[in-house]
Amino acid sequence: MKWSFLRRVTLSVSFLVILVNPFLNFYLHFNFIQGWYQSLGIGNLWIVSPLEGLESILLSKTIYGPLLIGMLLPIILALLLGRVFCSWICPISFLSELLDTLKRPFTKRRFFKDLLRLPKWLIWWALIGDILLALIVGAPFFVFLSPPGLVGREIMMAVFLHTLAIEGIVVIVVLGLHLLVTRRFFCRYFCPLGGLLALLGSKRRLQVVLDRERCVACGLCNKACPMGLRPQDGEAALPFCWNCGECVDHCPESCLSYKWSGADQVAVHSPEENL
Amino acid sequence: MSEAPINSGRRHFLGLFRSPVHENVLRPPGAVGEDLFASKCIRCGRCVEVCPYKSIFPLDVHSGIWAGTPIIAVMTIPCYLCMKCVEVCPTGTLRPIQQDEVRMGLAVVDRYLCVTWRGEALCRTCYNICPFKDKAIRLDELRPVVDPKHCTGCGICVHACPMTDKGLGASNPTKKAINCLPRS
Repeated sequence: MKWSFLRRVTLSVSFLVILVNPFLNFYLHFNFIQGWYQSLGIGNLWIVSPLEGLESILLSKTIYGPLLIGMLLPIILALLLGRVFCSWICPISFLSELLDTLKRPFTKRRFFKDLLRLPKWLIWWALIGDILLALIVGAPFFVFLSPPGLVGREIMMAVFLHTLAIEGIVVIVVLGLHLLVTRRFFCRYFCPLGGLLALLGSKRRLQVVLDRERCVACGLCNKACPMGLRPQDGEAALPFCWNCGECVDHCPESCLSYKWSGADQVAVHSPEENL
Repeated sequence: MSEAPINSGRRHFLGLFRSPVHENVLRPPGAVGEDLFASKCIRCGRCVEVCPYKSIFPLDVHSGIWAGTPIIAVMTIPCYLCMKCVEVCPTGTLRPIQQDEVRMGLAVVDRYLCVTWRGEALCRTCYNICPFKDKAIRLDELRPVVDPKHCTGCGICVHACPMTDKGLGASNPTKKAINCLPRS
């Protein structure tokens, strides 16, 4: 359980940052860290979510240097490691896993079942639809409702304004779908940010690779995958894989492993060409 | 709380697209024009978080496409021009500018309400409290006069002004004897 433990620690720390930090800023005027996973400022290091930044540039047709620099780090991360923001940092992931932990004593199964499976390519349409809708409306309105940012905004509103915004209901719906219908239902099919990161990470360096010779086809990895992929059939190489490492941990023969492919092994195109 | 005089009354459907900026309800310092604001701002709320006076608050869903954008209701809490928000805006929606370059709005004296202009008293609250005293607000024959060239529109004078349309020191005024109007 090495990777999932590491990942849960990272998720918890990431969540603690956006949970504790508003209190520090409000009561102690700490202000060293600001914001959450829409835009996070750690001292002079600015991180801006690529989807938010892209929409801002597309809609206002203006380019602002600091915005581009803020987008650089997450974009490089996605190019090299894929959708790791989703599985290792995103507060929705943290809350989903927390719910899983609470749910586990009530179910006898080792793995949760997915009640409804949709085509995986829906996430591309979520991304396209989101950008098109934003362009039509003329405001990056969807990022206002985007769950990863929304969790942080709600915490800030609760601390700073002592109120919660009604759009927080989106988070409840997303978590409800995860709990009652399909694991990570929103993340899998409808998250535009996830779609953008998956697109950026489609030629990622870090991948979960399968040693076919040692695989005994037990199917545990397929059941473990929260994204509903089939690592046993090599689906971990798809853009939809978010490198969470659940399959790596669950493989009894340890024939799944993370692999960093060097420049020679990566497909014909360099990642930059695919942007 | 932030029960500012916005979102008051019934809103037409078109209100979802209409800018929420109006008299005494203004954007934070350095804001780009309202034509760009909705599209450029990513609603990250860092300006809300950094504002030490809690002047800035995010608009809610009633504001339609403007939801999540920051606003300052100067009658409730004005802007004290600490210029922290412009330093943290990641998108350049609030441009990094100097304190004296701020043009959030323009203070306008209501000469029918102002007790000094009406000749009933010698009040100079707005003049005394103005951070750019003698430049933005000066006294002309003891009556306050705003110079649009220097007024930042911070609204400190609006906040301080004791005279309201509901009478002196009324608790729920809709306007004061000096008000900040949007610049554009």
